[in-house]
Amino acid sequence: MTSRLSAESEEKPEEVYKPSRATRVFMVWRKLKKSKLAVVGFGTVLLVSVVALLAPIIAPYDPEWRGYTSRPPSMEHWLGTDAMGRDMFSLVIYGARISLYVGLGAVLIEVLIALGIGMIAGYFGGKIDEVLMRITDVVLTLPTLMLLILAVSMFEVRGIHIITMVMGLLGWPFMARVVRSEFLSLRESTYVEAARSMGATSWRIIVRHILPNILSTIIVLATMDIPWYIFYEATLTFLGFGDPFSFSWGVLLKKGYLYLQTAWWMITFPGLALFFTSLGFNLFGDGLRDALDVTERGR
Amino acid sequence: MTLRTYVIRRLILIIPTFFLISIIIFVLIHLAPGDPVTLMIGPRPVPWDVREQIRKELGLDQPIHVQYLIWVGRLLQGNLGYSYLSNRPVIDMIGEKISRTLELMLAANLLSVTIAIILGVIAAVKHYSISDALSSLGALIGYSTPNFWTALMAIMVFSAWLGWLPPGGVQTLGITFASPFHALFDHLTYLVLPTLILVLGWTAYLFRMVRASMLEVLGQDYITTARAKGLKERVVIYKHALRNALLPVVTYVGYSIGFLFSGAAVIESIFAWPGLGEFMVEVAQSRDYPTLMGLSMMIAIMVLLANLCADIAYAIVDPRIRYD
Repeated sequence: MTSRLSAESEEKPEEVYKPSRATRVFMVWRKLKKSKLAVVGFGTVLLVSVVALLAPIIAPYDPEWRGYTSRPPSMEHWLGTDAMGRDMFSLVIYGARISLYVGLGAVLIEVLIALGIGMIAGYFGGKIDEVLMRITDVVLTLPTLMLLILAVSMFEVRGIHIITMVMGLLGWPFMARVVRSEFLSLRESTYVEAARSMGATSWRIIVRHILPNILSTIIVLATMDIPWYIFYEATLTFLGFGDPFSFSWGVLLKKGYLYLQTAWWMITFPGLALFFTSLGFNLFGDGLRDALDVTERGR
Repeated sequence: MTLRTYVIRRLILIIPTFFLISIIIFVLIHLAPGDPVTLMIGPRPVPWDVREQIRKELGLDQPIHVQYLIWVGRLLQGNLGYSYLSNRPVIDMIGEKISRTLELMLAANLLSVTIAIILGVIAAVKHYSISDALSSLGALIGYSTPNFWTALMAIMVFSAWLGWLPPGGVQTLGITFASPFHALFDHLTYLVLPTLILVLGWTAYLFRMVRASMLEVLGQDYITTARAKGLKERVVIYKHALRNALLPVVTYVGYSIGFLFSGAAVIESIFAWPGLGEFMVEVAQSRDYPTLMGLSMMIAIMVLLANLCADIAYAIVDPRIRYD
């Protein structure tokens, strides 16, 4: 008797090492650090965010400040001035605010909708799944820019918030597909079955057991979608469907386009800002995907 | 499932998809609050009864679901509606523009597919080499660049500064050409810039597809077997690997119609290329709402058919897909 007891106590499972949240973030960072490109991407994203946050402190001039018009880059105006005499450097800095706002705002809406639709379709399956996925597929195949133009064109006032909202409302299909397929495979997994057998409710299984496991996939997809929203906002604005009163890079490009022959700096720098921001997010997203060990399913 | 039943099933599926698309387009246009008639007229002072007249003509006095049913009913009869601005049938206006868009897409697609396959195969075969790293970096830069900005820069450098290529349009005006060949050559100079800009972005995507797909195939057992049999490396790569690696690319080229259209809308507007994309932007700017709906429906149907063709082509070259 005693011997059996002692044997049992020896077999007591070793304490599972469960890292704290901070440690887990650190572990991801350590993996991310291995790729130089990912670090460059992270640095760029960080830089753009800091510039956006501290725009009033960093920018040498107020965006509404007017001086001599259409001056090429000089010591006073690093990136020159635009046709209205505003300092291009300050305008580009303030543009980062709009771009980040648009990117993050639209992605937030996208994630919420994609999670909702993907979860319902993937967890409940059946007819609901079929109908939702048919809608998703159709929206996915239609040209995004066409849908955006359609949705935005009939608005009387096209503010930056409306554009952001519309982009988020139309951007969810791909992520929804991925969320759904992750749900489909996790739903059948042993630990979810175990949770269900212990009487966990659907809601608890979704929130406590499945969601944490698809979080990294969502983070990666969201990171890589941000540059798209920034692009689409700039494109819409450039085509004349944006908010002409914002300091968006698209507005700068639209105005600079008129002076293309004489003032190269007016279109070069806002475009470069767009390019580096997007490159940063793409590199960072690529690095995150490797660090978080996400394999793309869903297609 | 045989190929025939697969094709028939896909064709039947088109019907619900058609209605779904029409609902999406209809809802999107009616998403904005406010009165479409006021928007179309703009700030001009127009008497109230004229507004009511317009409203009636456009059927906007009907409840929204009736409006939808009338619109879809006309669509099914092949009537895309009439332009509010010019009163011309939308289908005629599309007919005038469609060839330009197809021309641009064909040129862009042919070029990017060729470049992407060549570079993708080289990058995959010489995995981790300098050429792999360089082309991957190039692709990364390619899809991180907003294509309308590249277009602006290209116009600035090649048209404004160097004067090599025209900044936009399709043909030099006010010149009589010595022969049709001169006219053709003149037209081609207009085609160069918009095509290259589209190619830049689209190749970046395709390249990543080809490279990834090729890498996957090259890691498979039958490739090792082929090599072990002593086959020449060239035969292994082109006959065994590439053929299979290109399967997913086939679908992507079909799907590219939608993608290229999005890109083309901007590029066409910038280069004043009189195609469907430019038309769409123009129509949306003037808020010519019946034309906008008809045109989007037409584009959507084109995308739908292109995808269908791609899926069927895929099912023919890869029989496994039908058993899904």
